Amino acid sequence: MTSDSARFGHRWLPILLVLPLMILILLFFYAPVIQAFYWSFFLEQPFGGGSQFVGFDNFSRVLADPEFWRATWRTLIFMVTASALAVVLPLVLAIAADRQIRLSPVARNVLVWPKGVAGASIGVVFAFIFNPFVGILAPLNNWFPGLWAPGLDGVDAFITLIVAHVWSGIPFNFVILLAGLRAVPHTLYQAAALDGAGPWRRIRDLQLPLIAPQLFLTLVLEFTESITSVFALIDTITKGGPGGATTLLVYKIYADGFRGYDLSGASTQTVMLMIFVVLLAGCQFAFLGRRINYER
Amino acid sequence: MIENARSINIAASVILAIGIVYILGPLYLALTTASHSYQETLQNGLTWLPGDDLADNIRRLWVETRIPQQMANSLIVALGNAALTCVLSFLTAYALVWFRIRWASVVFALILATIMLPLDIRVITTYQVAANILSPVNALLDLTGLNSLISRFFGAPVQLELSILDTHIGLIVPLVAHGTGTFLFRQFFLTLPRDLFKAARMDGAGPLRFIWDILLPLSRTSVAALFVLTFLSGWTQYLWPLVGASTPEMQTAVVGLARLMPDNDGRMPDFPLMMAGAVIVSLIPLLMIALLQRFLVRGLVLTEK
Amino acid sequence: MNAIDPIHAEAQGIRLSGVTKSYDAKAVTIPPMDIEMRAGEFTVILGPSGCGKSTLLQMIAGLERVTGGTISIGGREVQDLEPKERGLAMVFQNYALYPHMTVAQNIGYSLRVAGIQRAERDARVKAVARMLGLADFLHRKPGQLSGGQRQRVAIGRAIIREPGVLLFDEPLSNLDAQLRQDMRLELAELHHRIGATSIFVTHDQVEAMTLADRILILNKGRVEQFDTPKTIYSRPASIFVAKFIGAPPMNILPVSGDGRALRFGNGKVFAASPLKGEFLLGIRPESIVLDRHGPIRAQLRHREDLGSHMILTAAFDLVDLRIALPFGSAEPQQSDLHLHFPRECLHLFDVEGRRIEADFHLEYAN
Repeated sequence: MTSDSARFGHRWLPILLVLPLMILILLFFYAPVIQAFYWSFFLEQPFGGGSQFVGFDNFSRVLADPEFWRATWRTLIFMVTASALAVVLPLVLAIAADRQIRLSPVARNVLVWPKGVAGASIGVVFAFIFNPFVGILAPLNNWFPGLWAPGLDGVDAFITLIVAHVWSGIPFNFVILLAGLRAVPHTLYQAAALDGAGPWRRIRDLQLPLIAPQLFLTLVLEFTESITSVFALIDTITKGGPGGATTLLVYKIYADGFRGYDLSGASTQTVMLMIFVVLLAGCQFAFLGRRINYER
Repeated sequence: MIENARSINIAASVILAIGIVYILGPLYLALTTASHSYQETLQNGLTWLPGDDLADNIRRLWVETRIPQQMANSLIVALGNAALTCVLSFLTAYALVWFRIRWASVVFALILATIMLPLDIRVITTYQVAANILSPVNALLDLTGLNSLISRFFGAPVQLELSILDTHIGLIVPLVAHGTGTFLFRQFFLTLPRDLFKAARMDGAGPLRFIWDILLPLSRTSVAALFVLTFLSGWTQYLWPLVGASTPEMQTAVVGLARLMPDNDGRMPDFPLMMAGAVIVSLIPLLMIALLQRFLVRGLVLTEK
Repeated sequence: MNAIDPIHAEAQGIRLSGVTKSYDAKAVTIPPMDIEMRAGEFTVILGPSGCGKSTLLQMIAGLERVTGGTISIGGREVQDLEPKERGLAMVFQNYALYPHMTVAQNIGYSLRVAGIQRAERDARVKAVARMLGLADFLHRKPGQLSGGQRQRVAIGRAIIREPGVLLFDEPLSNLDAQLRQDMRLELAELHHRIGATSIFVTHDQVEAMTLADRILILNKGRVEQFDTPKTIYSRPASIFVAKFIGAPPMNILPVSGDGRALRFGNGKVFAASPLKGEFLLGIRPESIVLDRHGPIRAQLRHREDLGSHMILTAAFDLVDLRIALPFGSAEPQQSDLHLHFPRECLHLFDVEGRRIEADFHLEYAN
């Protein structure tokens, strides 16, 4: 019970304290969100040429556009593959780093470095590393010409994006999962050892179930993260190419809005993407979140 | 450990080594490439050994590009984002936790919802708001019918206009409109014993004294953690600074670095210059991580709770 | 001794009139309460957890608002004043020391807030620290102190303002047994030296019995009894009080009277009495006498030797009787016990649990 005893009773001061952040959030979060919804029902002219209410026309236009569906499909594929890798790899690393071995302090230090490297910066680096002519796989092309061609082959470009995305995503997921592992009481391992469970078995029977909350959380965050932060990678590595093979929704929205000046179309796609992201998080919390909750 | 687990420890070491190589490899390659000349790179491609043109490439970066100025922009944006986020979310969380207010849960829900939809998703309309931050006021005037009243009396409706595009403020504030900081501080405040607050009140401390004398000193690590986190986030932003600043003078270093990549695919890009840029641009945040690692890790863990 | 004590408070009386507290419209936590604490008196508020004792203390402190009624301290109505305006100080259960301040800063913080000059502040902090034996620790942080030292800092911080009223919120509950005993003595001494009106909340009956001038026993927000420790022990106003004070608790046996005799549930006559109806008979374990000629027979089931005394558990009339025998008394040799309930040690309660004070004319039929 939080009774009133542990709080101040002032009336105006808290409003004053909350106001600055609230104004910023209303202005730069809620106003844009509302505006996106608003525009998705209007045909908006660029450069303030007036607008006209069109009902669901924008939605039917977008939904009838095969390019939209392709971008959505690519987004889904990227979301699933990149998120899975961006959680599984840090998970394996965290389980390894949780052991008392010589490399684990080094790894714990190094593995958070990507947090300081912008997606666009590492995008530029990977664009170089995976360059088919001078990059790390260039020798491959000498033996088998055309085997590695991210500039021509959509799959190669996609792989490059995933490798760069996983690189960027390691710190957060690694730190969260490692913290989860370290919160498991040591006595549990001892008990399991007395029960006859060897170290490999303890990973499966103890560590994985016990960090399920962290795994779930990283996965939820990673889904949204993979959809949005991939923009910097696309813009620096593939520019949506080749032939639109890496044009995911965020990139398409940006291109439609800022290059094509199709504000209504971009807003409509924004609205659909927002609804998708919110639904995704909602579903995951509703179905998965309930089951994975241990009292520690 | 409990028993001798040699096989698993070897496996773990191998895994960690692979992880470290995966993280450090690209950074190392960027560094070695930055130390070779354009010609060498064209001929030999990627090399694992360092060359001796690093200084020259950095000099070119300094002289031929706007990276230095853009680094200053990045610093302003990162510091501004960190400072504003820390101050505003500290005050907000303080109000939500330590005051008897009925609307606290509503406000907290409104703030928390921002975590779900990152800026990158809603960039189109955020750009429109930044182009005229008074447009919501205009919309309100239109919606409430006030504007038709005004136009009847004064001949024209009110259309206020104020753009923050191409300003440092404009690059910063949309990043601040985010709930993570409030969430983090709220979680921390809730762990503090309530009796501490009561004791302070018995000692006669009012709301502001309580912040200054008690809460702030106790929150130092949390503030530092959030500061590091938001500094890094501000520095590494890409999409917002890309659209929020249209001139090279106002762009941040990360955007400037990406702009070094030529648009047409005909010519081999000047990779050594770009790798030098990637290294230089990442230097400040990497240094920060090296020095303030424990705050960063703490911040990451705190945002999860 | 008082003459040289630097800290000496002007004690003030406290009066609560019709004070009520409810957290929402439906649930009433504290029904209207009228009590008065005399200036300089040491009052212990005793009750199980959730009885409202902390709420009561915090309402007096001003940390919790009253829903209705008035609180006056030294004749001044204070229920609408801020804590700092009420002229009282408080010692908290977990000490609530500011972890980032030194001992000196902790003790002197209220003076700093009040804007008192540094020189005077330092002098008063030193005086308090000397009084509490903290002079050598002034520059330590709370984290470097032992539990007892922290407790003293918490007390020092409370008394430095020379408050007319000192409030204690279960201040000893975090100390180990030995330290708790020492601190109890120190607190009693301190009270005599400072002379402030003290209100001390606890659920520990030993603290209540040893420290209090008067004990206020609360049950579900209601005052069960407010009296001296002696009276509370010897004439408990209700079964709740009777069972709460004393260990092991008082034995309670249902009896019924037909106007001629009181009988136990098993139909055995206990004593001749003109009482009619159902009653509850109470007798403390230490009052029961083992007596070969005693009229009451019980089956011994268990014995616990605590050294200083022995506790017997015996089955009697469907309930378990507890009997406390002092060290050195003769132990029963067989499981058939013959007991005697001395008349002057009996307590009679109605079925609601309220004490029946009227002389109930018991005649043992020997």
